[in-house]
Amino acid sequence: MNQIPSGEPTLPAGGTQRRPQQLHGAQDGAAPERWECGYPELNPLDGIDLTNNKNWIDTGVPGPLFLASFLLVSSPMGAFGQEFHVDRDADNEVRFISQAPIEEVVGVTDRIDGYILLNGPRLEAGSALEGTQLYLEVDLASLDTGLGLRNRHMRDNYLEVKEFPYAVFDATIDRVEAAACGVFRVAAQGGLNIHGVERAREILCDVSERGEGYWVQCAFDVLLSDFDIDIPKMMFLKLANEVRLKLNFAVQPAP
Amino acid sequence: MLRRGLLVAAVLLAPLGARGQDRPVRWQRAGDATEIPITVFHSSQSANLPTAETLLQGEWQFEISHRFVPAVSDGVDALWGLDGPVNMRLGLAYAFHDRAMVMLQRSNLDDNLDLNIKVRMFEAGRESTPVMVAVVAGAAWNGDPPQPFEGSPRAWQYYAQLTANVMLGERFALGVVPTLLRNPLPDAAEVENAFSVGVMGQVYLSQHVSVLGEWNISEERTGLEYNAGTFGVELETGGHFFKLLLSNSVRPNPAQFVAGTPFPFEAGEWRFGFNVTRLLAF
Repeated sequence: MNQIPSGEPTLPAGGTQRRPQQLHGAQDGAAPERWECGYPELNPLDGIDLTNNKNWIDTGVPGPLFLASFLLVSSPMGAFGQEFHVDRDADNEVRFISQAPIEEVVGVTDRIDGYILLNGPRLEAGSALEGTQLYLEVDLASLDTGLGLRNRHMRDNYLEVKEFPYAVFDATIDRVEAAACGVFRVAAQGGLNIHGVERAREILCDVSERGEGYWVQCAFDVLLSDFDIDIPKMMFLKLANEVRLKLNFAVQPAP
Repeated sequence: MLRRGLLVAAVLLAPLGARGQDRPVRWQRAGDATEIPITVFHSSQSANLPTAETLLQGEWQFEISHRFVPAVSDGVDALWGLDGPVNMRLGLAYAFHDRAMVMLQRSNLDDNLDLNIKVRMFEAGRESTPVMVAVVAGAAWNGDPPQPFEGSPRAWQYYAQLTANVMLGERFALGVVPTLLRNPLPDAAEVENAFSVGVMGQVYLSQHVSVLGEWNISEERTGLEYNAGTFGVELETGGHFFKLLLSNSVRPNPAQFVAGTPFPFEAGEWRFGFNVTRLLAF
């Protein structure tokens, strides 16, 4: 298994190349973890003799077909995966930080929403990851840089939030490792969509227990140029192309 | 047989359909995205007239403005007016609410010290034609007013303004500013009430550059016979406005400007001026 870096969740900026899909938990000569955890992919037609009418039940549906359908709807993603929603009442915070020679520009919002879908009831190191999902979206019009004029410039000129109101990260959980003090280091791979441009990204998050849910802290860098966000010449001294994003939010079991 | 076949197909395809959903989860977005605030004029003032725009709560705005007294037509000998003298204004504004701000400003013309409050009353038309309305009320005290021929000068002036703004299309902001001014001439024999109507327009050429114009129609009175006209260019960044102006008025503060100007609006009478504002948040 790939080792997840320690320290603050961070990755090099850019990251336009998506890594090849890996079989999670695969060691040299070892079976992939998803097989070990007993979540085989199903082919609804495997082993079914469609010409055999003997097993039809009262509904007129052949028994093997009914069983196959049942297995499909009761697959891990549909039946066993625990769903967590972002707790919008928690002290969530999304912060972007632009280091520039003259001034550090910081924008903050608490308007983050989304969900996490696990394969089991709780997050565990090395747990099965097939079918997991991490979906987050940030309401960009709510970002506050501390100056109304700067907010308007950011909304209208750079992020164009009227057309692209949300920044979205839609990913699958790629790796889970136990870090110190009950904290899990989670790597998620997926598409980061900002300003209508989607880039494949891996994002690292530290996840710790919070009641029945979790507290999630993620940090990563993006290049504005990767997302076709203009930086006007008059602003070159103000904004750097590289922007650090920090996401702190709570999730709780879906109601 | 047909019924049975359809049932088989339905049972088989149902789970596939369920798996094919974009998000087979219970999560739903809690609400709409944050509404984008309505904007007409970007700045809280045009060249001289107030717009309906207010600062964000907690913001400060520092301003320094100059109106060079010699005309540009005085040529190189007066460095096109830049040699001065100059009437200048220093201002400090603070927004104690997203809809309300106070501003203290001092002009060296008559040592005019002005305190006003602006309250944004109304805005609408987010999806169509944005409009915004605000009211301004202020008082000015002249520390060194001109001496009248008879009696004592009256140092205090009071004014009330309504500013109604509309954005036509995506680039043209238009505003009208009626003003009622008490005591337009501190050195006049009798106290007067003066009424004026200002019209202002601004065309936003790009994200940071616009051109603006103002015309303030005032009653003719001795020493202030003409309407004041101003035009220029505005540059804006994330925290500044820079306005470079030509005008037939050199009277910086509100109670001074709206009363009129002694110079006609002719090219030979245009004076150079500028406003620089900086937004601050602590």
